[in-house]
Amino acid sequence: MNGYGGHILRVNLATGQVKKEPTPADLARDYLGGRGFGIYFLLKEVPKGADPLGPENKLIISSGPLSGLLVAGGGKCDWTCKAPLTGGYASASMGGHFTAELKYAGLDSIILEGISPKPVYLFIDDDKIELRDASEYWGKGSMTVEKMMKDKFGEEFQIAVIGPAGENMVSFAHINHDFGRQAGRGGVGAVMGSKKVKAIVVRGTKSVPVADMEAYRKAGMALYKACKDAEGLQEWTRYGTTIVTSWCNEVGALPTRNFSAGSFEGAQGIYGQTMREKIVITDKGCFGCPCPCGKYSKTKKYNSYVEGPEYETIGLLGSNVGIDDIEAVAQANLLCDEMGIDTISAGNVIAWAMECYEKGIFTKQDTGGIELKFGNADAVFKMIEMITKKEGLGALLADGVKKASQEIGKGTEKFAIQVKGMEQSAYQTHNATAMLLAYMTCDVGAHHNRAWAITYDIQVGRDKVVPEKVARVIWLQHFRPMFDVLGACRLQWVELGIDRDLYVPLLEAITGIHRTWEDIEKVGERIWNLTRLYWARENAGFGRAWDMPAPRFYEEPPTSGVTKGQYTKLEDVNKLLDMYYEQRGWDSNGLPKPETLEKLGIPQELVA
Amino acid sequence: MRLYVDSSRCSGCNACRVACSLSVFGENNPKKASLVIEPHFPAPGVYKVRVCTQCGDCAAVCPTEAIKQDAQGAYYVEFSECNLCEACVPECPEEVMFVRPELADTAWKCTACGDCVAVCGTSALWLGEKEAVAA
Amino acid sequence: MSAIFRLSGSLKDVVGGKDEYIIEAGHTVREQLLALGIVPETVAMVSVNGAMETKDYVIQDGDTVRVLAVVGGG
Repeated sequence: MNGYGGHILRVNLATGQVKKEPTPADLARDYLGGRGFGIYFLLKEVPKGADPLGPENKLIISSGPLSGLLVAGGGKCDWTCKAPLTGGYASASMGGHFTAELKYAGLDSIILEGISPKPVYLFIDDDKIELRDASEYWGKGSMTVEKMMKDKFGEEFQIAVIGPAGENMVSFAHINHDFGRQAGRGGVGAVMGSKKVKAIVVRGTKSVPVADMEAYRKAGMALYKACKDAEGLQEWTRYGTTIVTSWCNEVGALPTRNFSAGSFEGAQGIYGQTMREKIVITDKGCFGCPCPCGKYSKTKKYNSYVEGPEYETIGLLGSNVGIDDIEAVAQANLLCDEMGIDTISAGNVIAWAMECYEKGIFTKQDTGGIELKFGNADAVFKMIEMITKKEGLGALLADGVKKASQEIGKGTEKFAIQVKGMEQSAYQTHNATAMLLAYMTCDVGAHHNRAWAITYDIQVGRDKVVPEKVARVIWLQHFRPMFDVLGACRLQWVELGIDRDLYVPLLEAITGIHRTWEDIEKVGERIWNLTRLYWARENAGFGRAWDMPAPRFYEEPPTSGVTKGQYTKLEDVNKLLDMYYEQRGWDSNGLPKPETLEKLGIPQELVA
Repeated sequence: MRLYVDSSRCSGCNACRVACSLSVFGENNPKKASLVIEPHFPAPGVYKVRVCTQCGDCAAVCPTEAIKQDAQGAYYVEFSECNLCEACVPECPEEVMFVRPELADTAWKCTACGDCVAVCGTSALWLGEKEAVAA
Repeated sequence: MSAIFRLSGSLKDVVGGKDEYIIEAGHTVREQLLALGIVPETVAMVSVNGAMETKDYVIQDGDTVRVLAVVGGG
């Protein structure tokens, strides 16, 4: 099948059986790939009420039709499962080179099913597919194991690996690849750990067929040329996402001390410029990417190498925990990568714990003697370790900020900065209503990558509560995640401002199917409604209450910084949701109306 | 004409190797590319790239004269005339002469086509004149 | 004393199409933006002779200053 690896690989970890099935043509036509395949298999095959860490959950890893080809940014794969962190939908997008290798091995998806009786790794070398004993790797860090495996198998093999935190099923454990790329959020690493799968190792030597070779080469080269000619390419490549740190601080979007403010007095110490001067060695890129965002670095203070930190990690493990030293942020980043936990959730929950400590809710007895105050980098390093081992306070934090705050009570839920159980990522949203709505309605919880709308807020008027903002968020939610479906990165379009119409002839030349962006966004809208239905199916009473933001944003304005005194009124929070549900064709509780499902052609049996 | 590379600019993206396999074989299969990217991670955290300098040492030893020179001075393998004897492989000073029978029934090498240059976003690769070689 | 001030992306449209200005050195980037009618908050990034600077940077004689609008984010 043009543009595809051609097979779905099913791995039954309980029986040890592996089975390859041809990828159905209508699945490819209707769901395209990536997270499209992910939601399809999740809805169809993971039974209602499944324990995310139990044998019925499945981890679905999918490449896409743009992966592994002459496509600028064709380096992304999707990891979908029921989320341990939230009990809802998890979909994490991973860069690097893994997705390409899946295609060369003739695969579109790998579905991990059941639980292995003992630790294993999945080994794929073209048609040789085996589950192998992982006892020599179990318990070791992600980077350590990747290096061991690269040394053993060779550079042609691509490796995705969990750290000890995934093995321990920390609810926000992640999966590492290529010494610095991750499937980050929702606890996808915990699911892999619950199945006792330490790593997936893959190499493929087959070519990927395309429908029209000449048109494909022309369109592929045109997209590369547009990227290379883009204004701002040099600056973007130099700084990656750290390019926005100073801007976020300036406009009051930089999360500071558990989102209590939007600008940080120590921000200069963690600016992109500071980082570039102090620690960056190599601009490291994912497969096919002409504008490598990875900033591979070496710290002098800790004598360590790490890919990053990128903006999110700088926000959550820097300003949000009161740290103004980029080297300390880099070290925290490395510890999270090696241990195997999501840097965003980690920084968020540690900041919550710091606020608890500073308010006297936790004492040194609770923290095991650690001075858990904002600005204490050593405390951050120690907490990362304790979370990984579920030791002391770490055991509480390992459940995520929502559960931790519910357990402690004492009003701490009010400053648990999360939506649907997922810790909010690095944009302060006291006064940025489109971005606030984006976080409230994102389909995995409070993550920014679906609808990054904060610049729209700044340009149009940050506190405006108007239908245009809602329409913008909805459009972004139909468009941006489609890159995850296609198996490519969105940042070439997002950061370089290239014409997105360049992708249309490229996708057609690859797959042989003509699709406009309107067609693709229709698939996006369908997927958006499917993931909404998944949440409703898995969570009794799911509705508007689950879309509410952290109370801090409507009750506690910042007392310092650029956004001092600013907040969004609760009535406006509800007004945003009212407009959002109406524009989406959902009822007043936020559930898709039957006519909306009909219009989108969503078959009833898929969501029973 | 030959390819040049500044490894310090390489991001490891492999776009060059996809373009190369397309150019030489008409396939999307970077393992069949004619340049090598060696990642050195986690330390020292750099990529080292090896490219063909069009020195001609491979052509000099080919017993079937399958390696020919084009009008721009670049050497290429005439696939139908290669017998996979591998005499060329150890001769290549850059180790960029490729024989992998499981992937192709011919040796292959860089033809200085320039497609890799066109897709390199960090401008790590460029085409230029061969340096004069002392006799 | 003069310098070059370049606008990228959507900023060009804000000031009426020109993307390059010869300006007097000695002012901060922020002051220069305001003088051109651009809201400083809509500028994501300032690059002076290729290196990133803040909007408080004082423009020197011979500098080439580029200002980029905030594009699409993370």
